[in-house]
Amino acid sequence: MEYGTIEREIHVEASPEVVFEVISSPVHIKEWWTAETAFEPTAGATGELVFGERGTPGANHVQLTVVEVQPPHLFSFRWVHSPGKIATATNSLLVTFELTPEGAGTAVRMTEVGFREMGWEVAVLEEAYRDHCTGWDIFLPRIGEYVNQMVASQ
Amino acid sequence: MTVAIDDDLWSAIGDPTRRRMLDLLLSDGAGTATSLSAKLPVTRQAIAKHLGVLDRVGLVHVTPAGREMRYRVDDAQLARAVAQLAAVGETWDGRLRRIKQIAEAIERSKQK
Repeated sequence: MEYGTIEREIHVEASPEVVFEVISSPVHIKEWWTAETAFEPTAGATGELVFGERGTPGANHVQLTVVEVQPPHLFSFRWVHSPGKIATATNSLLVTFELTPEGAGTAVRMTEVGFREMGWEVAVLEEAYRDHCTGWDIFLPRIGEYVNQMVASQ
Repeated sequence: MTVAIDDDLWSAIGDPTRRRMLDLLLSDGAGTATSLSAKLPVTRQAIAKHLGVLDRVGLVHVTPAGREMRYRVDDAQLARAVAQLAAVGETWDGRLRRIKQIAEAIERSKQK
């Protein structure tokens, strides 16, 4: 089985405590992931991310299991496993947020690890496209627009 | 402007084997059913079928190469497909950008 990783690092002008709260609490996840969810921030807790309007045919339900919670340093969870299944390394993607104080703010390191067939191809495809097409710079802002409109319309 | 999801394009790219094939075609520049089947755990016949699907939605260009057909990725159509995937799936870049905005807004409101 082939595994892959997405890695991102950003700086946030806010304390690790604030960033941790934003990353791990359902009320904020609703804003940044545009998904409704409810789960306890404790290891092993399970929940569901609901994209789109609950109860409509367009709604997409995605499973989530909290793996590790160390406020305000680390928050990790597994997602996209099938409903009713225990999340494992072979049926889900592991997302880890590591927070480190940086100046007056916080360095946020996000990694997503999983196997190719589970859906991280989107990112890989984008990477591949970025590497192979010089037109990407023109195209990228347009993706941003699409996403913003998508978010605005939800 | 809204994102119209092209069902055929979506299902063409929704298959892991076909995405893997696109990956290979991108990294190799071009390929044939034979060259792709050598790199994937799928028969040449199955690869040929997948290539047919990709061809129908315009994701690959076909040119004859001897007794075989040579395939390469259509950049413009792939760009469209990626836009759709990005719009629907949302990438971590967008999520992280929003995490940053929300956290910084909270921090600012605390300092007032």
